[in-house]
Amino acid sequence: MHIPSVIPEGWEADDIIGTLSKQAEKEGYKVFMVTPDKDFGQLVSENIFMYRPARMGNGIEIRGIPEVQKRFGVERPDQVIDYLGMMGDASDNIPGFPGVGDKTAKKFIEQFGSLEGLLENTDQLKGKMKEKIIENAELGRLSKKLATICTDCDVTFNAEDYELSVPDSEAVQKIFEELEFRRLKEQFIKIFSGEEETTETQVTSTETAQKIAASAGSGQFSLFGGDGASPATIKNTSSRNTIADVPHAYQSVAPGMAMKLFLQNLMKQSSVCFDTETTSINPLEAELVGIAFSWESTKGFYIPFPEEREKAKELIEELRPFFESKDIEKIGQNLKYDIKVLDKYNIKVQGKFFDTMLAHYLINPDMRHNMDVLSETYLNYTPISITELIGKKGKNQLSMREVPPDKQTEYAVEDADITFQLAQHFRPELAEAKTDDLFADIEIPLLKVLADMELEGINLDIEFLKSLSKDLENDIANLEQKIYQAAGEEFNIGSPKQLGEILFDKMKLVDKPKKTKTGQYSTAEDVLSYLAKTMK
Amino acid sequence: MQTVAATGRLSSNNPNLQNIPIRTERGRQVRKAFVPRNDDYTLLAADYSQIELRIIAALSEENTMIEAFKNGEDIHASTASKVFNVPIEEVTREQRSNAKTVNFGIIYGVSAFGLSNQTDLSRSEAKELIDTYYKTYPKLRNYISEQVDFARENGYVQTVLGRRRYLKDINGSNAVVRGAAERNAVNAPIQGSAADIIKIAMINIHKKLTEGGYTSKMLLQVHDELVFDIYKPELEELKGIIKSEMENAYKLAVPLDVELGMGENWLVAH
Repeated sequence: MHIPSVIPEGWEADDIIGTLSKQAEKEGYKVFMVTPDKDFGQLVSENIFMYRPARMGNGIEIRGIPEVQKRFGVERPDQVIDYLGMMGDASDNIPGFPGVGDKTAKKFIEQFGSLEGLLENTDQLKGKMKEKIIENAELGRLSKKLATICTDCDVTFNAEDYELSVPDSEAVQKIFEELEFRRLKEQFIKIFSGEEETTETQVTSTETAQKIAASAGSGQFSLFGGDGASPATIKNTSSRNTIADVPHAYQSVAPGMAMKLFLQNLMKQSSVCFDTETTSINPLEAELVGIAFSWESTKGFYIPFPEEREKAKELIEELRPFFESKDIEKIGQNLKYDIKVLDKYNIKVQGKFFDTMLAHYLINPDMRHNMDVLSETYLNYTPISITELIGKKGKNQLSMREVPPDKQTEYAVEDADITFQLAQHFRPELAEAKTDDLFADIEIPLLKVLADMELEGINLDIEFLKSLSKDLENDIANLEQKIYQAAGEEFNIGSPKQLGEILFDKMKLVDKPKKTKTGQYSTAEDVLSYLAKTMK
Repeated sequence: MQTVAATGRLSSNNPNLQNIPIRTERGRQVRKAFVPRNDDYTLLAADYSQIELRIIAALSEENTMIEAFKNGEDIHASTASKVFNVPIEEVTREQRSNAKTVNFGIIYGVSAFGLSNQTDLSRSEAKELIDTYYKTYPKLRNYISEQVDFARENGYVQTVLGRRRYLKDINGSNAVVRGAAERNAVNAPIQGSAADIIKIAMINIHKKLTEGGYTSKMLLQVHDELVFDIYKPELEELKGIIKSEMENAYKLAVPLDVELGMGENWLVAH
C-alpha cells in the first residue's frame, strides 16, 4: 500500500504517533491520528484530530478539541492525562486511584484542574475518598506518568513519506487473496479503481497526515491530493476467472417449440443440476421466478416463470416428469431448499440426489460451504455476486423478479453450471475420504427426511407464549432494579464493558479480574458463574 | 441445518431449538408451547439415555463401564462407587453428582480447573478425582491417548460411520490451540458417532412411518431426542417401533437405551 512504517527501537507506537503529529503540526499540516484509543485525546489540538475508525456498526468519528472537552469533562486536551491518571485505564495497565471512576475523575478535574492540584488540596476532600487519595498519592503520580504520551522520541517527520501514492495493486491483491480477505479486496478495488465515489473511504494506517487544500472546505479530502491528477486505474488482478473470462452458452428457453425441444433433451439425461430462483430465502413463502438447468460444463438453460401463480403452476406441470423421474439424478447446492420450494407447487422431487453442500460438509466439515466460496476454492472461479445483481440487504434490495431477464439467465445458469462442475469435482473426493457411503446412505436420505419435517412444522400454543413472554418481561424488570440497587447506579447491563466496570472497578469484587484480548474485563459466562458461586 | 456443526450433529435456526433453556424451571416452560396438532394427537419424545457415555465406553472397550451399562446400573452411581471406593448402595448424592460431572467432563476433556469450577471440589481434590477416575477406567485413558495419536498421525479423527473431522492444529506449536485440537480428537468421534446413530434412526423411522401409511409424523430432532406428533390410535404400535428403531440403529458393544415420554406438550412428554 506504500504506507510508511516507522519502527525506531525502544519506543512505543503511541509515542511515535505523538511525536510525528506534533512535528507535522508545526510544519503547518492538519493531522488525523487514525485510532480508536481514547488516550490520544491528550494530543488533540486545533490542527490535530483523532479519526476513530468505524466499529461495531458505528460510523467513523472525528474528535477535535470540543469533542475531547465533552468526552472527558476537561478544558484543555492535555488534562486527559490527569483524567487517565486518576481513573486509571485497565487496557493499558494504568492503576489510577482506587475507587475513582469516570464521574469522580471529571469532578476532580473541574475542581482542581490537574492531578497535582488534587494532591495539593486533599484537605478539601472527605471521608474514605480522602484517605484513599492520600494513601495512593504515589500511585496517582505514577499513573499520570504512564498515561502521558511522549512527543519527543527519536523520529523525524518527512512530509513526502506521507503523500498517498498509488498502491502496488497487484502485490496488495495477492496478499489479500492469500489471507482470504475477500471483503477488503473488494473495497480496495472499489476505492482505488476511481470508478466509485470515494465518500466513505477508509484508509487504514497508523497515521495519515494530509495538507487540506484551501478549496476543500467541506472536510472531504481527495485521496490523491487536490491537484487534479487523475487516479491511475486499478484493475482487478485476481487470478480467478469470472463469467467474463470463460466462454459459456447460457440460454433462456422461450415457450413453445424451444421449450418442447428443451424438455425432450432434458428427459434424455441421466444426471442434471438444477437451481431455483425465487423471491425469498424462506422456502415456505418463496415464489418461483425461474429454474436453471445444467448437465454439461459451461452450458445451461433458464426457464423464466410468470408472476401469476396460475400460469406458473401450468408451466411447472411441464417440468413435473423431470422432477418426479426416478431415473434422473438431481444435482443441487442445498437441495433441501429447492425441494421445499417445489413442494409448495405440489411437486415431489424424486430420484437420486447429489447435494454439493452436503458433499463438502463431509469433505471439509470445518470450512464454509456456500457456493461462492466452494467455486473460488475448487474451481478458481468467482461467480456473479448476488449483491451486484439485487443490491445489499435492506429495503432497497431488489427482488429477483425485478432483475432484467438476461441478467437472471446469466446469474441463474451460472449457479447451475458451477454446481454441476462442483459435483464432478466432489465425487472422487468423497470416495477418496471413504465417505461416499456415509454420503449416499445417511446424509442424502436424511435430506429428504429433514425437508419433510420442516415442511410439517410443529403446532405452537401462541397464547401460552404470549403470557410467558409477559412473565419474563416482569422478571427481567425486577432483576434489573435489583442489579441497579446493588450497583448503586443505572447502567446498561447488556454492555460487557459497563458491566465489567461496575463489577470490577466500582464494586471491586475480585482483586485481579480476568481481561479479554481487547483489555476489557471479561464478563464471560464462566467468569460470572464462578463469581456467583464464590460471592454466595 | 445439516451442514453447520462440524461434528456431524444437526443444528437448527429460526428458531434455534438447541438454545431452548433446560437448566431452569422457567426456561423449561418454553417447551410447553410446543403442542400436538389437535386433540386426536399426543406428543411423544424419545430420548437416548447417556448416548455419549455409552459410545465412549464401547469405543474404548472399557469393560468395567460396559458391564455397568449391560447390567442396567445407574452409571454415575457405579462410577462414584468405584472412584470413592464405597459400595454402590452407600454412594451419597454428592459423590454421585461429582462422578456425573467427571463422566460428562471426560468427553469434553475437562481439566482439574474446569472440574473444580463445576463442583464444590477444590482444584487439588478435582485433580485427585480425575486421576482416580483414570485408574478406575484405564482403557478409557488409553483410548483418549490413542485418539490423539491417531489424529497426530493422520490429521483427522473419525466416527463409527467414517465421518471425518480434520484437526489441522493437532501438531501446532501453540499449546492452547493444540490443546483444543486434542480435546476435539476425543470429543469429535463421540459427538459425531452420536449424530451418525440418531441420523440412522431418523431415516429408518421416517421410512417405517411412510411405508406403513401412518398419519403420525416425526417433527423435531434436538440434542439426543426425537419428537413425534402421534395420532393416538397409533400410539402403542409406534412406541414399539420408535424405541426399537432407535435402540437398534447401530450395534455397539454397549446396549443403547431410549426413554419414551408422552404428553399434551413437549415439557410433559420430555
